[in-house]
Amino acid sequence: MSRDQNKVLIANRGEIAVRIMQACRDLGLDFVAVYTKEDAASGHVALARELGGENALVRIHNYLDAGDVLSAADATGATAIHPGYGFFSENYRFARRVAERSRPMHFIGPSWRVIRDLGDKINTKRLARSLGVPTVPGSDRAIYDEMEAESIAQQLFDYQEKQGVSRPMVLVKASAGGGGMGIDEVHNMNRFRQTYRRIRNYSQRQFNDPGVLIEQRIFNYNHLEVQIVSARGGENPVHFGTRNCSVQSPGRQKRIETAPGFFPEGLSYSFDARKVMDDIVRHSLSIAREIKYDNVGTWEWIVTPKGDPFLMEVNTRIQVENGVSAAISRIKGQDGVNLIREQIRLGLGESMGYSQNDVSFAGVGIEYRIIAEDTQNRFAPWTGRIEKIAWREQDWLKLHTHVPQDRPYQIPTEYDPNLALAIIWGKDLEEAKARGTAFLDDFVLEGVDAQGVALKSNIAFLREKTKDLLEF
Amino acid sequence: MDIEKSLEALSQRVAYARDIMGTRVSDRLEAVSHDIVALGQKADSLSMEEALDKTGELSRRLTTLEDDLDQFLTPMDKVRVVRHPQRVCLKDILENVYDNYTEIGGRDEVSIDPGMLIARAYITRRVGKRVIHHPVMVVGQEKGHGQEFRNGGSIKPWGNAKALKYMKVAAQENIPIHAYVSTPGAYPVEDYPGAAQQIAENIYEMAGLDVPIVAIFSEGGSGGAEAIALADKRLMFSHGYYSVISPEGAAAIECKFHGLTRATPELIEQCAKHQQITAQDNLRNGYIDGILQEPPLGARNEHFDFFKQLRASVIRATDEVVVNVQSVSLLRRLAMRGSKRRQVGENVIVRWELAPDDRELLVWRRYQKYRKMSRQAYIDKRGIFERLAAKHMEFLFSIYSTVRYEILKHYQKKIARMATDVTDEIHVVTSKMDRLTCQAMEALGIPQWGGGSDESALTCLSEPRRDQGNSGGPAYVSPKALDDREVSCPHAATRGCLDIWARDLFGEFAGVCPNCGYHFPMEYQWYMANVFDRGSVREFNQSLAAGNPTGFPKFDERIQKAKETTHLQSSCVTFNASIRGIRLTCGMLVANFRGGTVGSAEGEKLIRALDLARKRHQPFLAYVHGTAGIRIQEGVNGLIQMPRVTLAVRRYIEEGGLYIVLYDTNSYAGPVASFLGCSPYQYAVRSSRIGFAGPGVIRETTGMDIPPDYHSAYKALSRGHIQDIWDRKDVRANMHQAFLTMGGRNLYYR
Repeated sequence: MSRDQNKVLIANRGEIAVRIMQACRDLGLDFVAVYTKEDAASGHVALARELGGENALVRIHNYLDAGDVLSAADATGATAIHPGYGFFSENYRFARRVAERSRPMHFIGPSWRVIRDLGDKINTKRLARSLGVPTVPGSDRAIYDEMEAESIAQQLFDYQEKQGVSRPMVLVKASAGGGGMGIDEVHNMNRFRQTYRRIRNYSQRQFNDPGVLIEQRIFNYNHLEVQIVSARGGENPVHFGTRNCSVQSPGRQKRIETAPGFFPEGLSYSFDARKVMDDIVRHSLSIAREIKYDNVGTWEWIVTPKGDPFLMEVNTRIQVENGVSAAISRIKGQDGVNLIREQIRLGLGESMGYSQNDVSFAGVGIEYRIIAEDTQNRFAPWTGRIEKIAWREQDWLKLHTHVPQDRPYQIPTEYDPNLALAIIWGKDLEEAKARGTAFLDDFVLEGVDAQGVALKSNIAFLREKTKDLLEF
Repeated sequence: MDIEKSLEALSQRVAYARDIMGTRVSDRLEAVSHDIVALGQKADSLSMEEALDKTGELSRRLTTLEDDLDQFLTPMDKVRVVRHPQRVCLKDILENVYDNYTEIGGRDEVSIDPGMLIARAYITRRVGKRVIHHPVMVVGQEKGHGQEFRNGGSIKPWGNAKALKYMKVAAQENIPIHAYVSTPGAYPVEDYPGAAQQIAENIYEMAGLDVPIVAIFSEGGSGGAEAIALADKRLMFSHGYYSVISPEGAAAIECKFHGLTRATPELIEQCAKHQQITAQDNLRNGYIDGILQEPPLGARNEHFDFFKQLRASVIRATDEVVVNVQSVSLLRRLAMRGSKRRQVGENVIVRWELAPDDRELLVWRRYQKYRKMSRQAYIDKRGIFERLAAKHMEFLFSIYSTVRYEILKHYQKKIARMATDVTDEIHVVTSKMDRLTCQAMEALGIPQWGGGSDESALTCLSEPRRDQGNSGGPAYVSPKALDDREVSCPHAATRGCLDIWARDLFGEFAGVCPNCGYHFPMEYQWYMANVFDRGSVREFNQSLAAGNPTGFPKFDERIQKAKETTHLQSSCVTFNASIRGIRLTCGMLVANFRGGTVGSAEGEKLIRALDLARKRHQPFLAYVHGTAGIRIQEGVNGLIQMPRVTLAVRRYIEEGGLYIVLYDTNSYAGPVASFLGCSPYQYAVRSSRIGFAGPGVIRETTGMDIPPDYHSAYKALSRGHIQDIWDRKDVRANMHQAFLTMGGRNLYYR
């Protein structure tokens, strides 16, 4: 089956749905968009209607109802499903179901075994260690025994002392937990047992599993990512450089991403930044080769102030910030790289068509996530009606939004309030920062909520953080 | 006047005979009836003597007719006999058989359960010049000639609890128990306690009551009968029936198979015949020890000869039980044997109090009595050599078991303690040596191994957690997990569960809804593969096969079909296995094989497994994948498994075994009301249902519509039937924990 006989069902909403539609159009593919009652006025629905007509739209009950999504796919004759990010993107059961049902389809993402193996953080950590990839010091399996837990904690304190860490600290977390639940830190060995027991009991109660993980707590680290792209079969994974995602909200939500991860050309670091970036790329590729990674994915790393990189986890999906890596990448010297397009192409089983040697990098990219939130008040989300959204088009700017520009738009409360993504490119860091500031100055976002309170956005926060970007 | 009275009496006898005949019409009976009416009309015109002559003749005719009719009573007629309001009831028996009695535990309406009558009674006996008073405890169901409040002898759980209480009192006072069974079945109510729960307790406790128990069956209906009928001597009225389920109930179940919506009278008749419910059938099958011949068409209040005979029989039965276990009784035994045909106990003095040693022997005899029952009812497919070899092995194994666990036990502990003491002593020396070597190496500047390992331990691959015996991919894939379809959770409407893909649900989720935790039924193989250690399952006694001992029509094909579809020989699978290294014996009731019903083969397999566990000193797990009750087509052959297996369970527990029961799906009726329900440790998997009678049967028998959660595991938990509810995925871990905490160090406590 040639490529243009395929039809992609986009099982997502908002900005990523818009970008997948555009990528499909670029590749000459038919697509089907799904939407729910709440999203009927969203930009992705309007765009789908514009590009594909009413036939390209199916209303479903719930983005997370697999049966609903698949019956929409069957009804429209879709041959592939793109999960976007969130929702089904890292759900290996869904991926398996798409691939193994009686009318199988392409799942545009890694094969389900890969998603399953890398979706488990503990499993990823063990895999990494078996390949000699550095991970955060601590246990790489759930600990069930109090004596063992204490000895690991003691070793961690000793280790940090030897390393000269000023405030040694150990994290105790429920192995079955996640999302910040069942996690606590210990400053002092004397307090360890108390904390351990509390977390263990919490975990037993909440998750019916008393296992805990014990790790070193690392402060002031930089959050780096490696973008990996690989074709089905996973023989020759290619990386698209590193990204730095250290500017985050207090809830660890990313706000600004830059590529590359460090900028040794213009900034000075207390460690060999080039070597660190090379190392994490090398390590990431070794894991990708080992597990035969076969689509687009991101390896998340943390780098300590002393320049030690540790692998955190692997995101087996396209990420929000894929555009910023694409902005600085060139394939065979050509710009206009689109990772979503690559993802769809490879997901449908096509071969890479280029190798690592064909990929080169130029300049600096910055991505802003423009979100309606009150940065003064613990980044509380703001919901209301957007009256106006406007910006000046530039050839160094790519802006993705699902907010319609020609009419007011009510932010749905059901989903996250990410409004727009702006990707700025400059030939060096100075230029990128200047362009970024200029963009933020020009950007207009106005609205009002039900109480008559004016829209609050994070633009000022982004402008503030742009000043010392990539410094460490 | 006398004429009228005797005519009235005659027409009543005719009416009674008509009742018994049911729908059939006897010409001779109608003729007699006609003559009675005719005589009544012209009675005035006759002289007294003529009239008396005529009535006397009619009476003789009627008696002959009754005799003739009695020859051809069908099983269903006998069911009508025992249910007739004129049937002798327990009060009549107390009045006429015993010399004096006091009702205890409530009287008539003023009782916790008026259907259960308990009385302390006296039998006074003259032997030669001596007068002996025998106190006895009489328990039994009372129908009370149709008194409404007696509930037809259908006993609620608290009635059975009352009976048990006073049976224990009898054991305390060392007096025999006479149990008169006259119940259509227990009342299926799940209150505190539940019907099954209480019957199980009754059977279990009766298995250990160390006083003579004599049971006399008039109407023995299923679990209600078993609740007081576990006896050393079981007698039966010749017109009584003793059955696993009433013929109507059996027909209601069978009618589905015959494609009928309602049971027809013919089908009921057929079921009654093939279940072998009559006294004669039961005597032939060995489930009762003797028959009390009733007058034609059944005993009624006016049959004083019958009461005399009954009195003699119960005295003789009790005497026999007592004499057989008394240590100094040789002459009396011989005397009684000689006097079998003559009037009972003329020269024999038997006192019904037992010495402590005799009481132990009595319980042991009772165990053996039941152990020998129903041997003819299952199919043993082993060849003669296999059987001999098994016998041999069994004998050798019991010797080994005795030596290993009884004789060597004490020395074993001593040796183990000695060994630990010695190693602790040696440790003093070795630790000193270690310290010295360390110091020496430090002084010489030799780097010590183990030093500096801290850092690498924290950042390198650690040892994987030691295998718990069951890691690796799934060992068993459910056939339901192969088709591509969506399954709706029954809680979808209330809890908002999304439909689940069958392959996820029956594969990875092990049949548990990820949203609400509803447990879909899984195959028993899932448990075999996931609860026990890989490759540790060793099945035994596969060659015992379920058969069709009653010759139930068309049942051979059905049981053959079950064998073919499940590849099992009976609904019970017994095997040795281990959970995290703890060896155990398991008996599994498989729902796929005829609903997990228990017949004689299943009972025998469970008893053999219990014996094996006892000899091997292993804990026993009764895993109930699902059971619908006793296999009704086997009749009493199935019903008798309730006391049989319970006795084996009692023996196992008393010798120190740990008996754990786990219910998985729907578990109802007989097994739950006996050998399963009597376990002190019972657990249920979430979403299972546990009860005495299913919703349909309850509606039929009581007319009540029960709420949907009536039998849910939570209800069973709240009324104390089960100890806890487990999630399917935790069964292995919880089972291990249970064995550790309940079994003690050697897993065979005490």
